[in-house]
Amino acid sequence: MAGRADDAVIRATPILWAVVLSVLLLGGALGPGYTLSYDMVWVPDLALTRDVLGLGSALPRAVPSDAVVAVLDEVTGGALLQKIVLLGTLVGAGTGFAALVRERSTAAQLVAVTLGTWNPYVAERLVLGHWPLLIGYAVLPWLVVRLRAVEEGLPRSVLPLVVLGSLSASSGLMTAVVALAVAGRADARRRLLLLLCLVGANAPWVAAGLTSPASTTTDTVGAVVFGTGDEGMSPGPVAALSFGGIWNVEVVPESRLGLAGLLFTVLLVVVAVAGAVRVARGVAVPRIGALTFCWLLGWGTAVLSWAAPQALGWLGAHVPAGGLLRDGSRLLGMAVPLVVTLVAVAVDGLLDRFAERGLRAVVGVVIALVPVSLMPDVAWGMGGRLEAVDYPASYAEARGAVRDAPAGDALSLPFVAYRAPAWNGGRRVLDPLPRFLARTTVVNDVLVVSGRPVAGEDRRSADVARALAAGTAAERAEALRAAGVSVVVAEQIDGYPSPEVAGETVAGGALTVVELGAAVSAPPGVGRLTAMVAAWAAWWAVLLVALGTAVVHARRKRGRTDTLG
Amino acid sequence: MGSVVAPVVSILAGAVLGVTTLMGVVSSQTAAPEKSPGNVEQPTLEYGTVSE
Repeated sequence: MAGRADDAVIRATPILWAVVLSVLLLGGALGPGYTLSYDMVWVPDLALTRDVLGLGSALPRAVPSDAVVAVLDEVTGGALLQKIVLLGTLVGAGTGFAALVRERSTAAQLVAVTLGTWNPYVAERLVLGHWPLLIGYAVLPWLVVRLRAVEEGLPRSVLPLVVLGSLSASSGLMTAVVALAVAGRADARRRLLLLLCLVGANAPWVAAGLTSPASTTTDTVGAVVFGTGDEGMSPGPVAALSFGGIWNVEVVPESRLGLAGLLFTVLLVVVAVAGAVRVARGVAVPRIGALTFCWLLGWGTAVLSWAAPQALGWLGAHVPAGGLLRDGSRLLGMAVPLVVTLVAVAVDGLLDRFAERGLRAVVGVVIALVPVSLMPDVAWGMGGRLEAVDYPASYAEARGAVRDAPAGDALSLPFVAYRAPAWNGGRRVLDPLPRFLARTTVVNDVLVVSGRPVAGEDRRSADVARALAAGTAAERAEALRAAGVSVVVAEQIDGYPSPEVAGETVAGGALTVVELGAAVSAPPGVGRLTAMVAAWAAWWAVLLVALGTAVVHARRKRGRTDTLG
Repeated sequence: MGSVVAPVVSILAGAVLGVTTLMGVVSSQTAAPEKSPGNVEQPTLEYGTVSE
C-alpha cells in the first residue's frame, strides 16, 4: 500500500514541478486583471469582428486564435481565460516534455520539465506576447508522444492537439512539420488522414492570408531587424543552441547577456552531446531521426536569418507568406524536443554511476535546478514585466460610445502601432483598442524597430495615414469617412498628440470619441467570403471530429482502441 | 566506500548549484545598461530594439 503511494508521488512529481515552475514564471500575470505585453492583448469581451474572422484589411496575424478567444471568453471572461491559457500552456509544455522522456528516470523527467519551461525561448516569447506560438510549442512534445506509435493507428488525441497547435501561422507551421516528420513511417492512408487534419486546422489563416487585400509579401527590412540576434557574449547561432537569439533585446533576460548565459549554452551543448554519444552507442530513443530533422530545421532557420537576413527578406518580398520566416528564431521551438531528449539520456547515464538512491535523487534535483539558477531573473514574470493590470474606466465608456456610433469602422489615435501607457506600468503593448472596441478598427501597421520603419501591408492603413495628413480638421474628417471610418477614438498619451478631426465629441476624458457620421467600408468580396466560409467549415470539421470521437470513445471505453484508423 | 562517496558528491552537487546561482544572480544584476528597456529612445513608439 505504501509502495503504491510512493509510486503515485513519484509519478506526480514532474507534474507538480511543472506547476511550480509555471506559477513562478508567470508571477504577477496570475493576479487580477490583464497581462498586456507587446503583442499580447487580452480584453474583457473580444467581439467576433471581420478582423477576428480573417476578413479584415490587414494580414491575418491573429487568425484563428482571436476567434477562439472571442468564443471562449463568453464563458469565462477575458481575464480568467488569459490566466487559464497562460498557465495551461506552461504546465502543458512542462508535462509534455516529461512525457517525452517518460521511459527515463524521474530525475531525468524533472530535468526535462525544467528545460522545457525555464528556457529563453519560453521566457522571451512570453514577454513578447506570442502566446499562440507558445501553445504550439507546448503541443509539440505531446504530438511526438502520441505519434510514436502511428503505425498502429492515428491516435484520436492528435486531432485536438493539431487544432491547439495551429492557432497562428507560425505555430501551425511548427505543428505541421513536427507531426509529419514523426509520422513519416506511417502508411500512406494514415499520413493522408493526418495531412487532412493539418490542412483543416490551418485553413483559416491560410485562406485569410491568400485572399487578404493586404499585400501578402513583406518589407525586406523586416527580415533584417527580425532576424536572430546576438545575446551578450553569444553570437546568434550560439545563443540559438540554447533556444535564445530573439531579435528584440528588450525581452532578453539580463542573465542571458552575461557569463551565465554563455555557461547555460555551453552546459546544454555538452550534456546534449553526451546524450547523443549514448544514443550512438545503443540507447534507444524513439523517432530520433525525426527529432533531429526538426532540430536542424528550427536551428537552421534561426542561423539562416542571422547569417543571411537579406535572403529571407527577398523571400518575404517576392513569395507570398514568405515573411513567415522573417522572425528567424520563432521556429526554434522545433529544436527543443531533441535537446530535451538527449539531455534526459545523458542525465540517466550520469545517475547510473551512483548506486545509492538518495544520492541519485540529490544529483538529479541539482541538475534540474541548474537552468533556474542560471536564469533567476526570469522568475515572477521576468521580474514583474507580466504584471496584470485593469483597463481604465474610460475604455469601457469608449466601447459604449463606439457601439452607438453611426455605421462604419473605427479609427484609433494616436496612429502608432505600439504604446506604453502609464496605466500599464509604462510597459509596451500593441494598441488594445482594436480588440477592446466591438467594431472593426483601423490601426497603423508600420512597425518601428531601432528607429527603422518596417512597412506595413494593410493598404487601408496607408489610406488612413494619408487622410490624417490632410491640412484641416474638416478635410481629415471627410477623407476618413471616404476611407470608411465613422468614429475616431483618441487616447491621450504624453508626447504623441493626435491630429484634430472635425465631428461630434460623444465621450471625453482620457479617451475621446468623435463621431464623423455614417461611412461605408468596402465589404469583403464574394470570393473571399466563400473561401473563408469553406476554411472555417474545414476547421470546425476537424474540431467536431475530435470532440465526436472523444465522446464515442468515452462511451465505449472498454475494449476499444484509441485510434482513428 | 559508499559512505565517503555520498557526502563528497553531495558537496560537489551543492557547490555546482551555488556557483551557477551566483553566476546567474551576478549576470542578471550587471548586464550592460544600454540593453535596459529604460534607456531605449522613444519607448512608446518602437516595437523593439535589435542588438548592434
